[in-house]
Amino acid sequence: MTIGKSKRFFALVAVLASLTMVVTGCGGTSADTTDGDAGSEMVEIKIGVSSPFTGDVAALGLGIKNGATLAIDEANNDPELAELGIKISGFFVDDAADPKTGVTAANQMVSDSAVVGVVAHLNSGVSIPTSAVYNEAGIVQVSPASTNPALTEQGFANVFRVCTIDTVQGSFAGDFAIDMLGATKVAVIDDSTPYGEGLAAEFAKQFAARGGEVVATEKIQLKDQDFKALVTKIQALDPDMIYVGGMYTEAALISKQAKEAGLDVPTMGGDGLYTQQFVDIAGAANAEGDLATSVGLPLDLQPKGVDFKAAFEATFPGQTIEAYDTYAYDAAMVIVEAIKQVAADMGADQVATPAGKQAVIEAVAAINYAGVTGDVSFDEKGDTTNKAITAYVVKDGAFVPYEQ
Amino acid sequence: MGGSKMDVMTSIDSGKLSPKKIALYVVLALAAIGLPLYFQSVGNAFMVHIFALVGIYIMLSLGLNIVVGYAGLLDLGYIAFYGMGAYVGVLLGYVFQGITGGPGSALAGFSYWFLLIPAALAGALTGIALGTPVLRLRGDYLAIVTLGFGEIVRIALTNNIGGLTNGSAGLPRVGEIIVPAAGQKWVYLNLSSANFTFSKDLFWYFVIVALVLLAVFVIRRLDNSRLGRAWVAMREDEVAAAATGVNIMQTKLWAFSLGAMWGGVAGITYAYWVGFISPESFNFMESVLVVCMVVLGGMGSIPGAALGAVIIAGLPEIIRYLAQSPLLSGVLTAEQASAIGDYRFLIFGGLMVVMMALRPQGILPSKRRARELTEAEAIIEEENESLWEAEHKHDTPHGL
Amino acid sequence: MSIDLSTVPQQIVNGVTLGGMYALIALGYTLVYGILLMINFAHSEMFMAGAYFGLLFLNILSKVAFFTSSTIGFILLYVIVFLLAMTCTGILGMLTERFAYRPLRHAPRLAPLISAIGVSLFLQNAALLWISSRSIPFPVLFPVKNYRIAGANVSTLQILIVVSTILLLIGLDTFISKTKIGKAMRATSQDRDAAGLMGVNINSVIALTFFIGPALGGAAGMFSGMYYGNIKYNMGFIPGIKSFTAAVIGGIGNLRGAMLGGFILGFIEAIAAGFLSSGYKDVIAFLILILVLIFRPGGLLGESVVEKV
Repeated sequence: MTIGKSKRFFALVAVLASLTMVVTGCGGTSADTTDGDAGSEMVEIKIGVSSPFTGDVAALGLGIKNGATLAIDEANNDPELAELGIKISGFFVDDAADPKTGVTAANQMVSDSAVVGVVAHLNSGVSIPTSAVYNEAGIVQVSPASTNPALTEQGFANVFRVCTIDTVQGSFAGDFAIDMLGATKVAVIDDSTPYGEGLAAEFAKQFAARGGEVVATEKIQLKDQDFKALVTKIQALDPDMIYVGGMYTEAALISKQAKEAGLDVPTMGGDGLYTQQFVDIAGAANAEGDLATSVGLPLDLQPKGVDFKAAFEATFPGQTIEAYDTYAYDAAMVIVEAIKQVAADMGADQVATPAGKQAVIEAVAAINYAGVTGDVSFDEKGDTTNKAITAYVVKDGAFVPYEQ
Repeated sequence: MGGSKMDVMTSIDSGKLSPKKIALYVVLALAAIGLPLYFQSVGNAFMVHIFALVGIYIMLSLGLNIVVGYAGLLDLGYIAFYGMGAYVGVLLGYVFQGITGGPGSALAGFSYWFLLIPAALAGALTGIALGTPVLRLRGDYLAIVTLGFGEIVRIALTNNIGGLTNGSAGLPRVGEIIVPAAGQKWVYLNLSSANFTFSKDLFWYFVIVALVLLAVFVIRRLDNSRLGRAWVAMREDEVAAAATGVNIMQTKLWAFSLGAMWGGVAGITYAYWVGFISPESFNFMESVLVVCMVVLGGMGSIPGAALGAVIIAGLPEIIRYLAQSPLLSGVLTAEQASAIGDYRFLIFGGLMVVMMALRPQGILPSKRRARELTEAEAIIEEENESLWEAEHKHDTPHGL
Repeated sequence: MSIDLSTVPQQIVNGVTLGGMYALIALGYTLVYGILLMINFAHSEMFMAGAYFGLLFLNILSKVAFFTSSTIGFILLYVIVFLLAMTCTGILGMLTERFAYRPLRHAPRLAPLISAIGVSLFLQNAALLWISSRSIPFPVLFPVKNYRIAGANVSTLQILIVVSTILLLIGLDTFISKTKIGKAMRATSQDRDAAGLMGVNINSVIALTFFIGPALGGAAGMFSGMYYGNIKYNMGFIPGIKSFTAAVIGGIGNLRGAMLGGFILGFIEAIAAGFLSSGYKDVIAFLILILVLIFRPGGLLGESVVEKV
């Protein structure tokens, strides 16, 4: 019996070993692809894209994937790139909105030597630990959606973002609540994530500094659905407005449950709320009058916005544009532009070398690109200089730019 | 259960290794050392990372195996001890930096090595603090209490308890750092060559391997000690064990705190390796996965616990990696490859059901347990009755 | 921090509605535990499946003009949708038992737990990949009114949920204590083998248990969809943990205990979030759980366990 057991164990080990052999084989080939015949064929260069494709905020994460896919498709139709002899493909990895999975995903992307830049990640809590991995590997990271200031304050030269930081958006919302809405008493709720906490804290700070009164500061847990007790508590404090630092699901449920309880005041939040999903979950009647701020100017007012919309609808029929799709598109396009410059300077086969990757980082730092969200360029920390923020309000069941 | 029978079983476990087994261990050891070095040399940092990550889970799985496998206590909040080790390690690290003259000083790099034992103690003490009031609870009541405790710890960390943990944003805060362990830079400078980098992940991988070996050594010794036999006796029949002089509370508390201790060690190691921790890494699902590792591998078996960790922590990542690898890039588009990655939990869930149906006692069950099982079956002949039912008949006066 | 007691009646209403849902789900845990001594981790996915089935049938049947033309039509529509959704969820539950748990009936006791976790992962990801990763709005087709009762706002939905929950609970309690099949279930839970020898068909009793538990969980899922207005593939996770907690507070394996535990837990949560801190409400709920178990190790209604040799 002992022998039988150990035989079986041995067989298992053999299976595992052969599995690793397969993996090994892959490692080998992946190293070859870039050294290989560069002259005769197109050089394949990859842009990593990582965001949550599964889990709670998968809708936003898949939106980022869509936006980046559009950019990559467009780049491959660009004759300029074809002339340089470059074909760009996407390397999509799920980070599950989880720091640990995110770090693994980051390692997976940097292990492929053809990856010269990444559009990653959605959550600040994932972008911060992964930035160290990209920094060590010497490839550029452009985040489409991580707004926590800490990300670019680490001093990494390779880290950029195309969205504005919480301080800008939170204090904009604080001013907006006082100046445009005339709010005096606000209940502030955050969703216990780095994004929500940061945004809510900045809002509360600015709102209080401008003379407003924060009547309640509360925390909720993600995935929770029942906020009736919280709403009842807030209702007794009689606020003019509820500010939610968080994502659309929880904020929409709070808005809905507040109105059902008879607390008929607007719910306001940041870019995490700026999606049709918010209205769908809350119900059009409940969401009416709710507000969200988002980075950049409205899509329809942007010269490229109309094109983006048309391209999106053609490629992903039946899907809606989510909050960060346009940022992901711009983030990917910034990397594409940088690749173009480096390829023109150093030659296509040099882009995926360590020196080429370093040159891509430098090219991104100096970029000046007219994107869908506005003109994209970066300050010395890596934050976007595009600090335009637009407030949107739900009117007749959809977000429209706020007008007095 | 008589003493003589116990002795027979113990002797099976500690018996001499057959040549085949020795060969097997040699192959495994060579693979464990050689493969990461090889992957690093071809620039495949991902596989090195996965090796190290799996190593952390092996440590957790071995630790929980003491609680679930040996002592038979179902703990659904084991990750709380892991979190304790991580947070205590990082927070004491700041104190250590302060004493040794700031993060830049030469001594600060010793914080990991110095704090390994305090972090282990933090895990163990948390285990004792939780265990003392609740360990007299019966099986599933204990499970839910530990589950609740795990959630309490996670939520307290998220709510920035005492202003220490920086809430969901995690540690270190902006401007603070977790000092790289002493030795990391040395190996990088001295063992790297033109086409081989002795990376951070590789360094930590070997640290983790050393700790896993230590854990295996300690646990093997425990298993064959008086305490280990007390655990088995207690697991099989608490009343009979108490009657023969086993102090039940104390025996349970030992299992609980020793298991928690390894959680603490894994925690601080993870924190110093990745350089960032946040409460989200210590959620309920993680606890559940570690329980799965122990049970899937085979309860009470050291190779089983390790294999369970390899399968559960490593397999989904390997599935994802293979889907994305150039080997299949001719067959699959980037879209399809990514979709396969998204299917990994679906596949994995199905596999768990199939594996349990095929090997309910786990893939590599402990010999002692397997033997207990067959003997019990021999006693209750013909009837397809398991030991489990036999042993549980007496403590089920519940009824609907 | 001043505590405003004027909201107490409202918080009680909030707690009772939430508690009713917990009680329905907790019954599924406790039924299965009573018969098989197994924590059915996949039960939270039954809750989710019930909501999805409910939405499916609601979408199909609301196209029939008869159902939406009159009040009686509406009532019939919802009754039929509920019955269909509960039946489908019940069948799903039986299928999981047949394929995932029955092969493990004589396995070591933690093996089915792992299978259940596998089933849970599988079903959750199936819903994510094959249906949608997004929240899906769950329509309420009849007008919802608010009533003012004893200082609290009570909506039609809350009344509907609490009343139907109580009816289902009474129905189940009667079924278990009065009918012959119920007697067979009780016998099986006390001693499976002796029950088998007395002529109880163990396999059908277990299959039935796995029909009733998930059916009730599915009903709770539909209530949740109506009450919160949307459903999502991972909606079962939190209510699942909470309801399991509720079942244990009441004394797992005890039906009335599960009902009591559900209402108590809903109530504690509402009070904790309403008067203490919403960030710590789960901490408070779990601390109370631990305290209850320290002082009553078998749960509130569980029999005190005497270890026999």
